Amino acid sequence: MTIVSGLIAIGAGLAVGLGAIGAGVGQGIAAGKAFESIARQPEATGTVRTLLFIALAFMETLTIYGLVIALMLYGKLGA
Amino acid sequence: MFGSAEAAQAHGGGLISDWGGMYLTTAWGVMALLVLIAVLATRNMQKVPSGLQNVVEFLIEGMYNFLEGMLGPERVKKYFPLLMTFFLFILASNYIGLLPWVGHEGPEAGGIGKYIPPTANLSVTAALAIIVFMSNHIFGLLTHGLGYFKHFFSPMWWMLPLNLIEEVVRPVSLAMRLYGNIFGHELVVGSLLAMVPYFVPVPIQLLGVLTGAIQAFVFTLLATTYIAGATEKHH
Repeated sequence: MTIVSGLIAIGAGLAVGLGAIGAGVGQGIAAGKAFESIARQPEATGTVRTLLFIALAFMETLTIYGLVIALMLYGKLGA
Repeated sequence: MFGSAEAAQAHGGGLISDWGGMYLTTAWGVMALLVLIAVLATRNMQKVPSGLQNVVEFLIEGMYNFLEGMLGPERVKKYFPLLMTFFLFILASNYIGLLPWVGHEGPEAGGIGKYIPPTANLSVTAALAIIVFMSNHIFGLLTHGLGYFKHFFSPMWWMLPLNLIEEVVRPVSLAMRLYGNIFGHELVVGSLLAMVPYFVPVPIQLLGVLTGAIQAFVFTLLATTYIAGATEKHH
């Protein structure tokens, strides 16, 4: 395995690893706030849950972009 | 996951939509399954449902009531068939990956097997996302006429480029999210299976039950918000 292949492998690992940091922090904050608001106003549970799911989906997309980049890099590994 | 980079090359080297095997076969299997369940549930319908009819009615009614809260009583009638079809197809596609001979495979195969869930392929999820994109704009045009294009210039005319980028990002992110989640799940299970064949992949498989339902729900939810936004009456 050449140096280039090794660098590509590191890049693939970092792409999804670094991407997961931001999305993890963001999702944690969003979920925590959602639980807080449900605890404060239990009658708003349905609305909060729907909004939380939408928000989590958007945050998660960023990590998934990283995963897709990692997969593309992995495909280039043997080249 | 492929055992080596050479194997990845042989499978289309870098073109991620070519990874993995026969997604069309499983897609037809999912469709046949859904039709079969629909026929079995609606054959000989009763006023007081029991058995399969009861289960299907519970699922459909629950989703209908949920979407009614987002769309309102008139629009939900119009758009529910499309949205529920997305939900059922994606749910069944995700769950078919839990079958032992679909998706991940044992250590000798080294990960992704011959048959994969349809949603673990970028072409399938992209097709679904394009259907959402087209229907969203067509419903908007049918509701507002040519005035529909006004919303590209809101709230200010110079927001046009940003609005256009948003319209492109929506289907791309829909497709990538579904594909990445399901394919990533199969990849993780396959890698674990190659390392420790027994018991260790089970918790991840259980997580797949959760992921499959949540991703189907999120796709439907986002499609609903897009359609709701496009067909909203402003005045």
